[in-house]
Amino acid sequence: MWTRRHAAVRSAPKILRERKAAQIVDEIAGAAERWSDAAFPPRVRATRAAMERLAYTEPVVDYALDRLFGAITRDALRATIEGELGSLDALDDFVPRKGRPDVRYAGLDLVTIISSDTTIGVAIPPLVFAACAKSKVIVKDRNDRLVAAFVETLIAQRQEFGEAIAVETWNGHADPRAVAHLSRSDAVVAFGGPEALRAIRAHCKPDARFIPFGHRASVGYIGRESLANEERARETATGAARDALLYDGEGCLSLHALFVERDGAVEAESFAALLSVAFDAVANEFPGDFGARAPAVAAYREAAHFRASQGRGKVGGGVVTPHLIVVDPPRDELPPLLPRTLAVYTVEKPADAAAFLRHHALPLEGFAIAPGARPAVVALGVEAGAVRIARLGTLQAPVLTGEHGGVGRILPFVRAISREG
Amino acid sequence: MTPTAGPSAADLDVSFLAMVGDWRRGGAGCDDAGFDAHARALFVHQVERNEPYARYAESCGFTLARQPRTWREIPAVPSSAFKDATLATFDVARAELEFHTSGTTADRVGKHFVERAELYDASLAAGFDRFMLADRPKLRFLNLVPNPRHNKRSSLGYMVGHVSLLCGDGRAAYFVEDDAIDVAGFLLAFEDAVREAAPVGMTGTAFAFAGLLDALDERKKSFAAPPGSRIMETGGFKGRARVVAQDELYRRLEAALGIPQTSVVAEYGMTELLSQYYDSVESRSSPTRIKAAPPWLRTLVVDNAGREVAPGEIGTLRHFDLANRSSVVAVQTEDRGYAAQGGIVLLGRDVDAPPRGCSLGAEDLART
Repeated sequence: MWTRRHAAVRSAPKILRERKAAQIVDEIAGAAERWSDAAFPPRVRATRAAMERLAYTEPVVDYALDRLFGAITRDALRATIEGELGSLDALDDFVPRKGRPDVRYAGLDLVTIISSDTTIGVAIPPLVFAACAKSKVIVKDRNDRLVAAFVETLIAQRQEFGEAIAVETWNGHADPRAVAHLSRSDAVVAFGGPEALRAIRAHCKPDARFIPFGHRASVGYIGRESLANEERARETATGAARDALLYDGEGCLSLHALFVERDGAVEAESFAALLSVAFDAVANEFPGDFGARAPAVAAYREAAHFRASQGRGKVGGGVVTPHLIVVDPPRDELPPLLPRTLAVYTVEKPADAAAFLRHHALPLEGFAIAPGARPAVVALGVEAGAVRIARLGTLQAPVLTGEHGGVGRILPFVRAISREG
Repeated sequence: MTPTAGPSAADLDVSFLAMVGDWRRGGAGCDDAGFDAHARALFVHQVERNEPYARYAESCGFTLARQPRTWREIPAVPSSAFKDATLATFDVARAELEFHTSGTTADRVGKHFVERAELYDASLAAGFDRFMLADRPKLRFLNLVPNPRHNKRSSLGYMVGHVSLLCGDGRAAYFVEDDAIDVAGFLLAFEDAVREAAPVGMTGTAFAFAGLLDALDERKKSFAAPPGSRIMETGGFKGRARVVAQDELYRRLEAALGIPQTSVVAEYGMTELLSQYYDSVESRSSPTRIKAAPPWLRTLVVDNAGREVAPGEIGTLRHFDLANRSSVVAVQTEDRGYAAQGGIVLLGRDVDAPPRGCSLGAEDLART
């Protein structure tokens, strides 16, 4: 695709950099709108491919694609860029700033995005913002064609995207072509585990910006104020179940551990029972199973069963739908980090959860709280190192206008040029 | 818990040691009925004396009043239970041996208390003799494990120390200290053995062997070990970031040490068990090695609901070890495998778990 598009560029050069950022934003939003339609043929094909690759059910893949493309709107793109750069026009020319020199943001020459083969469309948001920055972008994608198909829609909107964006198959960091791209890139966005990230980083040029998105986990905290009555507790449980079950609990924004304060009007153990009911209800909306990790889940269940037989903690779930809820697993062990499995830790106060998270040095992505959580609970999320604090039930639905992984959306792809005097 | 009328420890031990003795003399050791009777007697003995196990068995629906009908029904504790409770039929202050599991993701370690060392000694020596020393050599043991004198809580160290003493030429040596291999010391000892044409018996974890091979590669060293030399490899790469495929490891061992791949034997044991599996002699030259055990160690392959699966079907391994008189007879592992030709094929733990999503795994955290 890269080669073919280059040939086209030579015969009829149309340069993305010559377009206004506002036009680019509109065109990207237009393409995303087409992809928001579940019946859009490329999306239908991408849905099937993602289901085949990841063994998620259709509702789960549809939800992921709805969230992904539904979020890429003109307003969201503009708001994010204006929020980070102060002005969309700063991508086209110098703009004045109050009390500071005029500034213009130039996109880095080459951005490489190395996608993850275990997620759905994770490369698309950085691709979109790098394109808004007018950078050349190479996406190293895995074995389905979601990103490539979206880029084809962009090119259909505006030919210049073909000059600027290439989507290639990722054959690993040792692939000579990948090494060449990495060594030339001004910014490298990479998704993956620690070993893959280390290896990729080693191939980057010394002054390249490296934006790693490693594997992380998410936790939640429910204060006793959210367990003031059964109705509220039930709502909270439904939110937690949604966060835990979506994507079978295998995303970095999946709820892996939940801290529940004791001595609420609804006691933690009763809350765990409500959770199990909520899990069954949510599983009807997003069906799934333990998949290939079923043996590990079974082992974890057995260990919890043994402890429960000794009067330590409780274990439940999985009667109607596949899930596992373990109340008060050992504090010296990591949360299980298994599909459709939630560890519930009963605590007295946020400091108890803070001590647990500090002890395990758990790299946190999201921190879920119940509506109306008291300030001490929010402070716990900050202290624990989370990069996103969200209401229970929305943990898996990050907004495009927020940062990703603790860094800006477009800032990593631009160079600020200040004009003084 | 007050002991009741179940079988006494002494009676059970006499019966077990007779079984071992019979097998060592070439007898069957125990047949199906003998295994079943002994296993169920152990269940009664352990429920009477081992309170945590009694509570667990009750939660599984079994008590002294409602006993398992066959050994297959005996509730198996998950191996992690050794971290969560003291699983012993006796006052552990009297334990002759105490073994600890290697800690990975938890701060606690599992502890296996053994009331009588004689049971472990008898079991391990019989298995080692049959599967490692069938041709009765006296070996010079060069061990890639820490000296058991320095780490008395390692069941592997104890085992290696015991067989080195029992079956060695009196010049056993240990070349791992603080997780590092004493390569220079090993080279001296190995060269001595080659010079003296003394067959060596090397023992160690796969990880240690991989480390040794790297060191030999760096030094561009290779040897032709004296005929009759052999290797017992165990432990895999559990908890290690680096993993080397077994066939590659064995190929490199043959190339570097001159020990044929058919003389490299994988042992499969656990701190929680007092008996071990080994690659069967018959399967050592085939691509799929089948693990065989003495007759007092049997294994069920179960599905995720704990039901026995058909032979050849992959499942999780549940061991029943009659040597475990003073702890629990049945241990549920997380290891995957399948039953084949009277033994098992071991597949490890993550054979069927490709990654999905972007969440953190415990392994990731360990490597970060």
